[in-house]
Amino acid sequence: MAESAAIAATAAPRSVYVYGVVHARRVLPPGRTGVGEHPAPLRTLRAGELAAVVSDAPAGLRAKRRDLLAHQELSLALAADGPVLPMRFGMVAPDEEMVRRQLESSHGDCLAALHRVDGRVEMNLKAVPAQGDLRSLVREDPEVARLRTAARRTPGYETSLRLGEAVARGLTRRATATAAAVLAELSEVADERVAGPEVPGCVLNASFLLAREELRRFRDVVERLAAEHGGHVELRLTGPLPCYSFVEPAWAC
Amino acid sequence: MAPTTYTEEVVCVPRAGTLYDVMELILDRGMVIDVFVRVSLVGIEILKIDARVVVASVDTYLRFAEACNRVDLERDRTSRTVPELFGGGGGGAGAVAQGLGKRKVKKAVGAVEDKVKRAVGEGDEDDEPEPDDEPRPRRRTGSAAPARTRRRSEED
Repeated sequence: MAESAAIAATAAPRSVYVYGVVHARRVLPPGRTGVGEHPAPLRTLRAGELAAVVSDAPAGLRAKRRDLLAHQELSLALAADGPVLPMRFGMVAPDEEMVRRQLESSHGDCLAALHRVDGRVEMNLKAVPAQGDLRSLVREDPEVARLRTAARRTPGYETSLRLGEAVARGLTRRATATAAAVLAELSEVADERVAGPEVPGCVLNASFLLAREELRRFRDVVERLAAEHGGHVELRLTGPLPCYSFVEPAWAC
Repeated sequence: MAPTTYTEEVVCVPRAGTLYDVMELILDRGMVIDVFVRVSLVGIEILKIDARVVVASVDTYLRFAEACNRVDLERDRTSRTVPELFGGGGGGAGAVAQGLGKRKVKKAVGAVEDKVKRAVGEGDEDDEPEPDDEPRPRRRTGSAAPARTRRRSEED
């Protein structure tokens, strides 16, 4: 993870965990709680037309599964009935006053960002190499064909290993090329797209921003592409998600 | 709240209790406030994708080599030999993949979830060395790879 050098949060008694930013008029979804071993009650801190959704920051907070889930599920719930700017996991403000000041100083930017994601959702697509169609790989990849012949002629550990490596390379290369074509086609049916963080094993990780009403259509296109290219690449579509990838990377300070 | 049903083969609706496919977004995307501190992510090792192709292991390579050697180029193109070897993919991929035993898929999912749990430090045990429990079955022949796209629908 890119943030591995992040500073440890000092859980001062007044510190607050920030989940996201919404319009001030929003009502919190009922029955939700925040991060921590004893999940903290949620509240909003208002400033102008904005509100930050926060809870007390638990002492010794770490990125536990339980807390990641609490963060994610609250973001999902908030996104389900209105626009939200979801925070990256783990943002802790020293006190409420600091949160309010941040909301005030970036009021215009946040409103614009909320407008951008209003009525829209994020869909995340990952592609991993498919392994099924070795026959065509043997036919099309000269290196694989050559090493396969060699391995048959001189069976053994070394020749098998070389062949296996060549197969893995060939499958990945083929999947990468196919994923690029998939990406190009999907970009036509989304409002925006961004590259996701690199994920080991994936030849593609991309997020798309699209209107909620376009979801059906988008899924249909992905389904078609998955069927068309199933021999080369496996597609995994996740969403609708809160628009994690389509909020500004940083507030103006 | 997000719907919790799966209507499509490749579509995963995020739902309560799952992080598997979106963890890197929660940790790496989303809004950041410079003057705030961030919870330490030191020591977190997150298993994100169970990718058998890219996993550079001798075991993987030997499995590929064996499968590759079994490809009979002289035989009918519609032969299921290879897809069966890998438990899906290829030619009649969909049908073959769906015909896989649920048990096998479930087993793989269990292992992955388990690993994710440990990786994100549930129960404060993320400093422990991880036992070698690759999510895929270790057999070198036979249905080594459960159909990945079906995973979430089988999780229930």
